[in-house]
Amino acid sequence: MAGTDAAIRTEGLTKHYGDVRALIDLDLEVSLGEVYGFLGPNGSGKTTMIRTILDEIRPTSGRAWILGLDTHRDAYEIRPRIGYVPGDLALYPNLTGQDTITYFANLRGGVEWSYVDELADRLQADLSKKVGDLSSGNRQKVGLIQALMNRPEVLIMDEPSTGLDPLMQREFQTILRDVAAEGRAVFLSSHILSEVQRVADRVAIIRRGRLVAVESLQDLRTKALRRVHLELEAPVEAATLAGIAGVRDVTVEGRFAELSFEGKMAGLLRSLAQHHEVVDVSTKEADLDEIFLAYYREDASGDEELVEAGAGR
Amino acid sequence: MFLRTIFAKTLRDRWLGMAIAASVLALFMLYAMAVYRDIDLSIYTDLPTGLRELMGIPEGADVASLSYNVMLGFTASLALAGLAISMGSAAVAGEERGGTLGLLLANPKSRTQVVLSKAGSLVALTGAAAAALAATGYLVPVVLSVEIGAMQVGAMMLHLFLNALFYGFLALAVGCWTGNRTLASGLSAGVMVVSYVATGLLPLVEGLAGAAKVFPWYYFDGSDPLLNGLDWSHLGILTGGCLVLGAVAVVGVNRRDLRGPSVGRTLLDRLRDDPRTKRVFERLAGSTRVSHLWVKTTSEYQNLLIVVATVMFALMGVLMGPMYTAIESSVADLGDQFPEAIMALAGGGDLSTPEGFYQVETFSLMAPMAVMIVTIVIGTRALAGEEARRTMGLLLANPIRRSTVVAHQSWAMVCYAVAVGVATFAGVLLGSVVAGLGMSVVGIAAASLLATLLGLLFGALALLLGAATGRVKIAAFGAAGAALASHLLNAFLPLSDRLASGARLTPNYYYLTRDPLVNGVAWSHAGVLAAVTVGLVAASAVAFERRDIRHG
Repeated sequence: MAGTDAAIRTEGLTKHYGDVRALIDLDLEVSLGEVYGFLGPNGSGKTTMIRTILDEIRPTSGRAWILGLDTHRDAYEIRPRIGYVPGDLALYPNLTGQDTITYFANLRGGVEWSYVDELADRLQADLSKKVGDLSSGNRQKVGLIQALMNRPEVLIMDEPSTGLDPLMQREFQTILRDVAAEGRAVFLSSHILSEVQRVADRVAIIRRGRLVAVESLQDLRTKALRRVHLELEAPVEAATLAGIAGVRDVTVEGRFAELSFEGKMAGLLRSLAQHHEVVDVSTKEADLDEIFLAYYREDASGDEELVEAGAGR
Repeated sequence: MFLRTIFAKTLRDRWLGMAIAASVLALFMLYAMAVYRDIDLSIYTDLPTGLRELMGIPEGADVASLSYNVMLGFTASLALAGLAISMGSAAVAGEERGGTLGLLLANPKSRTQVVLSKAGSLVALTGAAAAALAATGYLVPVVLSVEIGAMQVGAMMLHLFLNALFYGFLALAVGCWTGNRTLASGLSAGVMVVSYVATGLLPLVEGLAGAAKVFPWYYFDGSDPLLNGLDWSHLGILTGGCLVLGAVAVVGVNRRDLRGPSVGRTLLDRLRDDPRTKRVFERLAGSTRVSHLWVKTTSEYQNLLIVVATVMFALMGVLMGPMYTAIESSVADLGDQFPEAIMALAGGGDLSTPEGFYQVETFSLMAPMAVMIVTIVIGTRALAGEEARRTMGLLLANPIRRSTVVAHQSWAMVCYAVAVGVATFAGVLLGSVVAGLGMSVVGIAAASLLATLLGLLFGALALLLGAATGRVKIAAFGAAGAALASHLLNAFLPLSDRLASGARLTPNYYYLTRDPLVNGVAWSHAGVLAAVTVGLVAASAVAFERRDIRHG
């Protein structure tokens, strides 16, 4: 059964290249109206997943649907309804930006030129130069415009903000939020956590071809670690602090300690107060980088558990 | 270890081209001397004086001097100078366009050091190629027992070496001064061709003989080093020229800002920028060019098509007519003197008729090869090339079926093949009219059509290999290798009674076997070629549909 409501759905999606298992039994579902972050380090299988659902490559086993249509059998019907930015974008160096946009507009149909102009304006893209003469950031803008220009129902983007300066990244993220607000879906692959953090509703984490976890950003945050800096009256042993439930990554320098903590702060403060005179406490919300590292720090034995937790969603 | 110095890296990047050129020239040398040894040379010595001078053939040439002059003095001198120009223009301007010069100069190497290293590798490779050819020049006559008398091949090759170097340094200097690779190679090649033609023709015009000294080519063979040995003043002038140009290169690259990486500009781009033609060409080069996949593909190989079509029209088409009338008397019984194998390779025409002459000169090899150059290039780049450039994924994310991509690319290939075929047809027809040969229009059209179909067949093979593997090298070399094998097998199998029927399995059998220039199209043969081509294209669509797209 194809989930008709899902923008993207995969079921046991698996891709092997010879002996290399690039994608293992991937189950995920992206809804319309959300920005779905797809996080993983280089070589974790993000691009393989995207190329599989685009029918560039065929799964070894498993299936995938975009907007309820089979990604292989109905590939042709899917394409007018999606926009795509490949990772490590390559375009035709001899065409100008304008030519490139026109070319894809002719292939795709349904392009409003006023919207193209608006996008070019918002991203400050120069479309008059040959693509081969553009810097990588400016070339990326051409790629973004061609993906967005026909207001696709599903946007699939592989590391889309590569090369954009921070100001443009901000603008680009605003555009993505607009897309989601219009009830369309964005599938955003990235290894840059901060960019996903700013824009995504939900985040999936992939590692060595397996889905490690899918969390709403809110859950991630509440569940997430806080970084805690402590100043104590007397020097303290790292092991003592590490013994407290929910504490990890302890570093101690004399009276000063830094640690990650998961759970309610009250619990930590109570445990601390039993044995130590606390002079000062400062905490900050851990960003995704730290959460991400926490997921990745799990050794091989912990993997299975996490995968099950992720796959169950 | 090869990467230790700029000098060594340039050698590593460039040695193969030089080695291939030297080997091919050496083989030609062997082939030419073997042929000249066995035939009546009047076909060459009876050429009109102008043409003979241009080909570097002395009056009353014997076997050895003819071979040396044609193969070394003419072919090798131009080939080596051309390669030197290619190296010289790539040295600095090429790295600038590629965007690697900045990186190179971020290392503790001055611009002057880079130029000197590049110049050094240019001297070394050109010298090695010239030395190899000199060795060939001495060896071949020994192998073939041809008497060379007092001829001084070594002296000629030293002149040839410095002559090639001069044009290489000219390209280096222009490239260093302007940073424009196209200008560097274009200008140097222009100077080379003009001075080559001028030194060949000016001495024929009374009172202008001295004017040839203005042109650098004069210092290569003006003193006839093959007969007279080294001319130190001429060598000195060439060496001095190289040194001056080297100095210009060093000053030039130090005086200006480096260019950033950029893409080349085509004729269409220029017309698009020119205010007078902007309106029309903006549409042609812009919106029209990208209106369909096949139109975009046809826009991508303009320069290649212009060169190939021009060569086929002017050189292999028009020029061959007057050439035939010029040598008609001596060419008539030439066919009998050639060994059977060589005639078979050359297309097996009857040289005593204009049709036979055109068959040997234009149609047997050149016409299908010209068509194949464009079809194999497009067939290779259409699928495998687009994958190698990493644009296939994005293309296929659009609502276009893989089979449609194959169809569009094939159609672009057909357009190019037809363009070359038409240029050939028009050139030969004009040549026949101009020289009053009275060849059959239908016959010319038939031969051009069959050449087009044969070229398309191997282009479609490149397409299939690219579709099945996604690899550029397999597609290009596979198709070119198959074309060569087909030509050779079709030429040689019929020489043996037992194997003759095997030739029917080669595509080339369906090309000239029924003498289309005389008999018109054998539709069954055209049908075989067309059917195989269609089959290959269909197979391409199937193979491409089933495969994972490579990432490049």
